[in-house]
This record gives sequence, C-alpha cells and structure tokens, in this order.
Amino acid sequence: MTVRPDDRLLDGAPMQPLCCRQCGAEVEVRKASWHQTSVQWNAEAVSACLERRASSLGDGSGVFPGCTALRDSIARAALEGVIAVPES
Amino acid sequence: MMVRRAVARASRPSRPMGLDGPAGSRTSYLGELRTRVLKGWVDVTAVEAGNSGVRRIEAEAVPTRYARGWHCLGLSAGFKDGRPHTVSAFGQKLVVFQSGSGAINVLDAYCRHMGADLSKGTIKGEEIACPFHDWRWGGDGRCKKIPYARRVPLRARTAAWTTMEQDGLLFVWNDPEGNPPPPEVTIPRIEGATRDDWTEWVWKEIVVETNCREVVDNIVDMAHFFYVHFSFPTYFKNIFEGHVATQIMKGNGRPDARRPAKAGEPQMLGNTSVASYHGPSFMIDDLTYHYDDMDLKSVLVNAHYPIDGNSFMLHSGIIVQQSDKLSKDAAEAMAQKLGDFILRGFDQDVQIWKHKTRIDNPLLCEEDGPVYQLRRWYEQFYVDVADVKPEMVERFEFELDTTRPVEVWKQEVEDNLARRAAEGRPA
Ligand code: FES
Ligand SMILES: [Fe+2]
Repeated sequence: MTVRPDDRLLDGAPMQPLCCRQCGAEVEVRKASWHQTSVQWNAEAVSACLERRASSLGDGSGVFPGCTALRDSIARAALEGVIAVPES
Repeated sequence: MMVRRAVARASRPSRPMGLDGPAGSRTSYLGELRTRVLKGWVDVTAVEAGNSGVRRIEAEAVPTRYARGWHCLGLSAGFKDGRPHTVSAFGQKLVVFQSGSGAINVLDAYCRHMGADLSKGTIKGEEIACPFHDWRWGGDGRCKKIPYARRVPLRARTAAWTTMEQDGLLFVWNDPEGNPPPPEVTIPRIEGATRDDWTEWVWKEIVVETNCREVVDNIVDMAHFFYVHFSFPTYFKNIFEGHVATQIMKGNGRPDARRPAKAGEPQMLGNTSVASYHGPSFMIDDLTYHYDDMDLKSVLVNAHYPIDGNSFMLHSGIIVQQSDKLSKDAAEAMAQKLGDFILRGFDQDVQIWKHKTRIDNPLLCEEDGPVYQLRRWYEQFYVDVADVKPEMVERFEFELDTTRPVEVWKQEVEDNLARRAAEGRPA
C-alpha cells in the first residue's frame, strides 16, 4: 500500500502553521468550516504541550483527547482571520 | 450503446508513481490488466476511448503481508476444552492448544515431519501430538519427542506465535519480522471484563469476504453512521497517535429511524462513544447510552484477524454494567440485545463491503473524515519497524463539533481567553 496525499489539502485550504498561545508548541492547522478542525502535531509539539504532560501522569492507557489551550488558540486565530475559514 | 458504467466503476489497475520498477513490473502490470479484463472489471473499449474527465478508481493489489500487532482470536474459554483448535489466520492454518500447565499455545498447524494437520491431533500433557506419527510439539515450536525414535532430528522446530490471555480473551502477536511485542505495544485492560457488576462477554463472530482494511476505514467514516447505521453524530473526533487510532463520537438516534418509546419505557436520547484501535485490529469502545432516566455503560470490542488477503474474521464482544436502575438480569438481557443490535450493524456494513470495490483514491468532500490520514497511520503495521515514518505515528486530530452554534462557540472562546488573561496566563 502506498501512502497517498489527501487531495482536499491541495484543492482546498492547506494546513497552516500555528503556535499555541499557552505553550508555544507549533502545530499545523486546517479548518474546513467553523465546526471542523484538523491538527497535525509533531513529536516536538507533543512534548511542549503542558496539558498533555499533565494528562500523561495517568496510567498511559487513556487517550489524550486534545489540548484546550490549543483549541482556544485555534479558535482565536480563526476569529482573527489568521487561520482561514471557508465561508459556507 | 456503450456501457459507461463500467468506466466509472472500474479502471486501469493503478500504477502508483515511483513503484514502477524498471524490470518485471511491466509484466505484472500487464498480467494484472489481463486478470481484470478476464474478470470483466475493465471495459477496454471505453478505457481506450479515454474519458479524460472521468475520475478513475485506483486500487493496488491487497498487501502480501499481514499486519504487525496483537490480534484477538476470541474468548479464551473456547480454547480450553482439552482439544486442539484449527484457526485460519494470516494466510495460514494454525493450531491453538492449551497445554497441561494451562498455557494456550499457537503453532503452525502443519507438522514438519510429513505435513499432517496438528489441529486434528491430540493434546498430550504439555504437547500437541500429531495424528499421523505422534510427534510431540511444544508450545515453543520445538519437537520434544518422537515416541518411536531414539532422538529428535536437528531443525525440528516449527513456527510459534506469542500469545497472551487477558480479560477472558486470547491474543496472538503477529510480526512478519519475527520480533517479540515491544513493551509499549499493549492491549489495555478492560476493567469491566473481570468485575462482578458487569455481565459476561456476549461474543459474536462472522467471516467477512473482503480485505480487512474496510473495517478499519469505518473509524473515520462519519457519514456512514447516518446512512448505514441511522445514527446522527453531533460531535466527532479522530485522534491518531503512535499505534493507537481513536474515534470519539457523540450521537443522537436519527428521529426518523427511531421507534418512539412506549409509555413508561425509557427513551434513548443518544450515546457517547470513545473507541480506540490498539494496533491494527483490536478496538475497545467505551460506549454509554443515554436514556431520559439513566446512563447505560457498556464496553464494546470490535476486533478482527485476517484469514487471508480477501477475508477476515470479525468479532464483536459486549459487556454491560449493572446499576441501581439495571439489575443483573436486566443487564444481561441488555447485553444480548445490544449484541444482536451490533451484529445487525455489522450486517449493514457487510452488505456494503460485499459489493463494493477496493479504492485507494477515495474522492472526498470536506464533510468526510480523515480517510487518507487514517490509512497513513494504518500503513505502519505493514512495513518493517525500521521503515515506520514519523508521519505514520505522529499525532493527528480531526474534529467536527456541531453541538454549539457558531455564535455560542465564538462567545465561549472570548470568555475562555478573557479568563486566561485574568489568571495572568498568556491569552
Ligand atoms: S506428519 Fe506429523 S508426525 Fe508424521
Ligand atoms: Fe459501520
């Protein structure tokens, strides 16, 4: 199996870099609408995230659902037009 | 009239860029094309007529190796009846047997002596005895004894799989490279499975005649829950990280597909589901059904193992927690009911899988889930450990949240940011 690219990233909005206002982690973000968000992390960003660090004190079997500070940072960036949101 | 449907449906066998080796590949490409033409998959005339605007479906052959990872063979109790069991998995025939000391072992079923089927043999003490000439094979894959011979010959060793018994389930570790499971690649414990206030497993198994990628794709396929399973997700999230792929979903039953509750009967309002694949084939789903007067907690297992490239065994298991609103008997009845319900859900999927074609280049709209990113994650199990690329395991999130209207959402963000600022944290 070959890993193929997602055409939506080429035809529609691309992934855009964004820093979390809380921890500075740099991720890539894409919003296809106000309601829909994609986030691509890398290892460096994962280790920078404070909420993530706090959560992995558990038994490790749980899934980290996401960082609320990053979520707000993305929302803010979307509201400010830093992250483009296609109007529907 | 020319049949156009064949063009839209089938296509030239795909030749992914960069995979065309200089030698040999041409032959196999033509061979593959020939097979497709013979099977009626390609309307040659139409393909040659060249419909440039037509989207072509591309699909490489199914992988020739089987995924690295833990695979569940089902309830372990089923293998503890003193007999060897035949399991067809990973393109092979396996024998599963419990040795006298209690350990469950998995070996290649074919005896290295003259090729008889060990799963038709007998368990004798710690070993499985071959039905043909009684050679005794241990769980470690070594021949321990040949009753009529003075000495076991050199090289008397067969393939053995690492096994694990946990929460009433039997797992085998498959690795084409032959390495043992790394310590961080585990199946988490399912707490309810060993607790008295939860039911026993209600376990179902069906053979599905297609490649197992189809069932894994389900975890990102938001829209199919509406069309195939009559449920209406209002919140949906996928998280891929390391060897774990998660789907979080909050849904309401589709009002148009729901039978109205009779008077006095609890009305189901919706459900919350947190489901993770731990590796390529074993999914644990913490599934809570919300009723107007209670929450019903259950754990659903959705697991499979490949029989071969074109079929797999699909398992579903469910346990339900008792509560003050749900007696032991009621919980058991509920587990049965849910088990049947889930099986009906599988049947709905199976109907689709049976008739669909494999597609490597699904054409997606923005409302679809992250199919390509899921497959990028899934690919890690089909390459050598040394070839696992960072992008296959790096964290990726996809979220769809329709629970809050945009205005409410904007306000909430402003409030959160203001609160952070007031607490002296960066806004
Ligand atoms: S074939 Fe198994 S003992 Fe001879
Ligand atoms: Fe489904």
